[in-house]
Amino acid sequence: MAPEQGARKRKAITRDSPESDEVVLSDGGEDFEVPLPNGNQSEDELNEDEGDSSDLFEDESDIEDDEELEDELDSDEIPSDDEENAKNLERGEQSTHSRDIKGELNGGPATNYKITEDANGNVRFLYNEIDPVYDSDDSDAPATTNTIGNIPLSFYDSYPHIGYDINGRKISRPAQGEALDALLDSIEIPKGWTGLTDPATGKPLELSQQELEVLKRIQMNEVPEENYDPYPATIEYFTSKTEQMPLSAAPEPKRRFIPSKHEAKRVMKIVRAIREGRILPYKPPSEEEEDDPDVKRYDIWANEAPKPDHPMNIPAPKLPPPGYEESYHPPPEYLPDKNEKKAWEEADEEDRDRESLPTNHDSLRKVPGYNKFIKEKFERCLDLYLAPRVRRSKLNIDPESLLPKLPSPEELRPFPTSCYTIFRGHEARVRSLAIDPSGSFVASGGDDGMVRIWQLFTGHQIWSVKLSKEEAVNAVRWRPGTDAVILAAATGEDVYLIAPPMSENDIDPELHVKSRELVDAGWGYAANGASGKAKKEPATQWVRPGSSLQDKGVLVKFSLRKTVKVIAWHRRGEYFSTVSPQGQSSAVAIHTLSKHLTQLPFRKLKGLAQSAQFHPSKPIFFVATQRMIRSYDLSRQELIKIIQPGARWISSFDVHPGGDNLIVGSYDKRLLWHDLELSVRPYKTLRYHQKAIRAVKFHPGGLPLFADASDDGSLQIFHGKVVSDMMENASIVPLKVLKGHQIKKELGVLDVDWHPTEPWCVSAGADGTCRLWA
Amino acid sequence: MGRIKKKGTSGQAKNFITRTQAVRKLQISLPDFRRLCIFKGIYPREPRNKKKASKSSTHLTTFYYTKDIQYLLHEPLLAKFRDHKALAKKIARSLGRGEVGDAARLEKKGDPKLSLDHIIKERYPTFVDALRDLDDALSLLFLFANLPSTSNVSPKTIALCQRLCFEFEHYLITTNSLRKSFLSIKGIYYQATVQVQDILWLVPYKFVPRITGDVDFRIMATFVEFYTTLLGFVNFRLYTSIGLVYPPRFNGKSDEQGGELGAFTLEGRGIDEQEQNLGQASEHVNGDPGAKVVADLPNGDIQKQIAAIENLPDAEQDGQQDEEQLPEEDIHDAIDTFEATADDADVLPQPQASSNEAASLFAPFTFFLSRETPRQPLEFILRAFGCKRIGWDAVLGDGAFTNNENDPTITHQIVDRPLSASSPEEQATNASSDPSVSQVVRPGHRIPGRTYVQPQWVWDCINEVKLLRPDLYAPGATLPPHLSPWVKPTKGAYDPTVPLAEQEREGEAEEVEDSDQNGAREEESESDAEDGVPVITSKRPPLDAEIDHHGMDIAGSESDSDSTSSAASVASSFGGFEDPAASESETEIARNEHQLELEAEAAGATFSEARSITKANGAPVKGILKQSQGEEARKKAAKKRREEEEELERRKMMMGRKKRKLVEKMLYSNKSKDDEAEKLRAKRRRIEAGKS
Repeated sequence: MAPEQGARKRKAITRDSPESDEVVLSDGGEDFEVPLPNGNQSEDELNEDEGDSSDLFEDESDIEDDEELEDELDSDEIPSDDEENAKNLERGEQSTHSRDIKGELNGGPATNYKITEDANGNVRFLYNEIDPVYDSDDSDAPATTNTIGNIPLSFYDSYPHIGYDINGRKISRPAQGEALDALLDSIEIPKGWTGLTDPATGKPLELSQQELEVLKRIQMNEVPEENYDPYPATIEYFTSKTEQMPLSAAPEPKRRFIPSKHEAKRVMKIVRAIREGRILPYKPPSEEEEDDPDVKRYDIWANEAPKPDHPMNIPAPKLPPPGYEESYHPPPEYLPDKNEKKAWEEADEEDRDRESLPTNHDSLRKVPGYNKFIKEKFERCLDLYLAPRVRRSKLNIDPESLLPKLPSPEELRPFPTSCYTIFRGHEARVRSLAIDPSGSFVASGGDDGMVRIWQLFTGHQIWSVKLSKEEAVNAVRWRPGTDAVILAAATGEDVYLIAPPMSENDIDPELHVKSRELVDAGWGYAANGASGKAKKEPATQWVRPGSSLQDKGVLVKFSLRKTVKVIAWHRRGEYFSTVSPQGQSSAVAIHTLSKHLTQLPFRKLKGLAQSAQFHPSKPIFFVATQRMIRSYDLSRQELIKIIQPGARWISSFDVHPGGDNLIVGSYDKRLLWHDLELSVRPYKTLRYHQKAIRAVKFHPGGLPLFADASDDGSLQIFHGKVVSDMMENASIVPLKVLKGHQIKKELGVLDVDWHPTEPWCVSAGADGTCRLWA
Repeated sequence: MGRIKKKGTSGQAKNFITRTQAVRKLQISLPDFRRLCIFKGIYPREPRNKKKASKSSTHLTTFYYTKDIQYLLHEPLLAKFRDHKALAKKIARSLGRGEVGDAARLEKKGDPKLSLDHIIKERYPTFVDALRDLDDALSLLFLFANLPSTSNVSPKTIALCQRLCFEFEHYLITTNSLRKSFLSIKGIYYQATVQVQDILWLVPYKFVPRITGDVDFRIMATFVEFYTTLLGFVNFRLYTSIGLVYPPRFNGKSDEQGGELGAFTLEGRGIDEQEQNLGQASEHVNGDPGAKVVADLPNGDIQKQIAAIENLPDAEQDGQQDEEQLPEEDIHDAIDTFEATADDADVLPQPQASSNEAASLFAPFTFFLSRETPRQPLEFILRAFGCKRIGWDAVLGDGAFTNNENDPTITHQIVDRPLSASSPEEQATNASSDPSVSQVVRPGHRIPGRTYVQPQWVWDCINEVKLLRPDLYAPGATLPPHLSPWVKPTKGAYDPTVPLAEQEREGEAEEVEDSDQNGAREEESESDAEDGVPVITSKRPPLDAEIDHHGMDIAGSESDSDSTSSAASVASSFGGFEDPAASESETEIARNEHQLELEAEAAGATFSEARSITKANGAPVKGILKQSQGEEARKKAAKKRREEEEELERRKMMMGRKKRKLVEKMLYSNKSKDDEAEKLRAKRRRIEAGKS
């Protein structure tokens, strides 16, 4: 409000004395003229002309007071002076009484009391009664004299006054006009002139020297107060010096000298723990003792069991092997020409079809380090754990991937590699031979009609018997099982059961006795059975051979109608079968050892029977004719399967110990592997022999081996692994050709047999020798 | 009516879980989750239908198989992670309080040790499974074994990686199961076969690798931690399976001197002999052999000894020959080769390279590595292929059979430095002087009686499993290209080992010539101008080439017709494939016909020119004949192809939409392969032409 009004009512007012300015600030209002010095009487008169006479009078009295005050309180502070003035003013305005007193007591400051005499005649100060007006002791609030409120002064422009004081009296307008202007022009502008109009009074606002200085200091960003020292010297309320003696003279408390019970408790606890061994003294770990956890010292796969593959398990694809273009010295056609190189370099790194261009270095020393190596390996790591894996079926299946992976040669071992022992003694061809179930003897039979038994390792003949003068021994077979040593041999139409009496070094005498008993046990039954079933004539009669033979250990003899070529034992050693190819209906006979009984299971057989075998675990009987192999169920007595090897003339066959596979040798040089689960046709046909194959044999003792013997004088050893898994086919790997037998009259090796447990085999040659291969 | 099925409770929505969900379920931090996934081999999946699997609308989410995550829930490692986190808090607190001693104690004592053993057993239930997954492990560990130690990679890790890698290499050496190796620009690839499993890994060259900022070593360190555990167990199993003691004895001193493989000493069954040999070798190296020998024996004896040693291999060979002469020559352990006697039989595959062959490849030789050759790979490969005596320059480190380059037992020396001329006289004098006296041999100096080869010879030999001609790899010679042993020749793909003519498509060469012809002609005419010789040069022995130039000249000078010139050039190029022994009579008969044909095709002027040449030179007749034949062949080929295309189109018409697309896709990919092969063939053709 003030600046607005000031702007409107700027007046030039002359003043001389700056000393009386302080009043103006504190009061304002009517006291504007108060500081006017006496020399400026003309102005006063002017004011008196316009203003109210009574007011003027009052003012004059005030001036007088002030002047006096000033004189007296020259060194006094401003506020007190102000207060005094204010009070005086108020009093002057409000009570005439006080004015009177003032007038009377002009001389001193203590004008608010009267000095009288009391009853005792002493001086008595009689104080004026204080008029407790509303703001009598309020020195802060400015005494607003004009009561018009917050309205522009211009509303009073048309009036001689500019408002009303608190008592409702008009406040007259200060002098203005041309006369005044003329006067003012003659007077120089006083110090402290602002050109502003006091909003409250409408009079020009002027500032004293002090005020100006205050303003200046404010302008300079200083503290408005004069002589303010922003950096006073520190007053040391507390001294920094250490005193020699304590300030407090209190004595040390007792507790400082008594050991802590709590601590003692804790120490005792630790001591007890140490005594009990709960806390061990710290020992720095020695270098030797510390077992490096990075060195693995046990086999984590000690008892490994394969986990079945889960369809959701997708193993990470392997990185492809490098191609030609990755070589440090690739063929020249792989090197990029200029255009390709440029195109590659210009392409964005992500658009490039290959990571790096083929580069050529003429020698190894010029090959630099590959600077993206770590990056590539890192990306591979990211791929391994971060890339989502999906199984996608590939369009082009690489036929290579379908081919079976071959086991390494080391895993194919052991297999027989060389001739270890030669058994010499037969004067003519050795037709058949067999290793006994304990694996220590070889029995052989040859064209000279002799059956001989040899020690396997030494080749030393330990026993022999001549069964026939003109007929050849066509088959010798040991009875399976280690509980007895019984040999079956066939000469012409005769079949002999022999319990060979050997020296005590070779055979346990008890075992020999037991074997004899086993063979002889059937005599009684034969006698009884013959009486019981007299109606049907038995196929043959089991009889005692001649006494000379009996002395040799040949215990039983029986004859069939035609020449017996093959003997095959049942796994339990209770039954054995004989095959005489020319025998027609009696071609295949099954004999029961304990009953001395012969049965002819087939009334009629299609084709010429060649060989027969018992199934190693089931009651199944295989009979091979010239072209087919038939398998019969013995318990139900019916035909199960007809296997067609496709050979023209089967010479022999053998059943895998697992029972599901079959090998067939044929006179037309073929060796055929049959998977009975798979098909009736051969799974593999092998033609590695120059001449007819005479005998085939699986290893009986669990080694994945089989051998064949051929007329070209060689044996061939194969690896044939059968997996129990139905999905996987058997893997067959040719291993070894064993040569050594000489060919005599177009005949080479006639029979072959395996050691029951070891990877050794024996072969019978037409040259009259047998050989052990290991 | 059954109950309404709630959405998102079965099927894909339940089978898959996003990564955020998984992390929340496991209550671990993302880095811990990452480590856990790496250790346990858990990887994200791609659901068949992403929309069904995800509950949110965003597509960029990683899905895990829910059962995988459930399986992670009771993983002992999770507890370890939490322990570790608690410990980290404790340490942080003590550090905050300024109790450094406490923090150190906590860090030393309380750190829960992660054991990954059970995870190895879980992830690889059988040993073969572990072998199957060894490729990446070996590659990464070999990389770390060659890294310099930095703040990211601690020296302890590097030492561990080195130890494991050397142990594995030792196993391969002992069993000779390294099969192939390949020098690529990235590093050296090796392939070993262990228990039927092929293991392929890459070893960087010995350079300080460049480490870029975008590689997070924490991830790689996690992998390395897992792989070191795996390889540790694999090594143990491999060593014990062949009766060796694991861990092998490690000689720290030798390792400091750069012993590398030699710093390990194997112990166990069947190693005694080798050890003895090694002992001898080390004696040989340690005690100055020459000095000792000189001190003990008079000079003549030394010469005798040397002579005896030199004769040794011969004697062995003689022995072998004697054995061969024996009738019982088949007494050996190797598998015999079976050959079918008839066609109708099945062919059974037999394993080819047995470890015996590998073990005997370098067995009779003594190698010496010059100091510029990479010792580590060479030592490994040579030893894995049976070489027992490898010497090298002392600069290359400890553990050599000999450091003396003059050692008379050395049969092969591997050098990789440019050829420098040295006079044979000097060699002679040097050689005659006592070898034990002068240990240092001047670079480039040749010692007579030994074979000098470049390193590539070793690699090519082991890939072929036979000793190749060393003269092709002599120092300074241009090496034959080094080929990757893993590329199997596939039908239609380009094979650099086969002559160009055998693998070309019918009529391909002509076509290419046709298209290249314009440019080629310009070049040739330029060259002619430079030579100054008009046409026939002695440099071009084949006759057709000469005619080619005649034809060219005619075309260039006389006629503007492109057809003639192209025909001529095509004919010339085709001439290369013509059987040179074509009968004369046929030529005579055919000539007239083709001349007529030519007449029809070409402009009259050209023809007359051609005939004039024919008259002048008897031989060109043949050329023209061939030219026309070539044309015919080309035409035929083009026709055939067109027919085939039509046929294909017809057949595609019969197919359903889906199948057709499938076939098109296959054809497209096949075609891109064919194009690639064709490009390579074209390049080779150009190169061969440039050579001749």
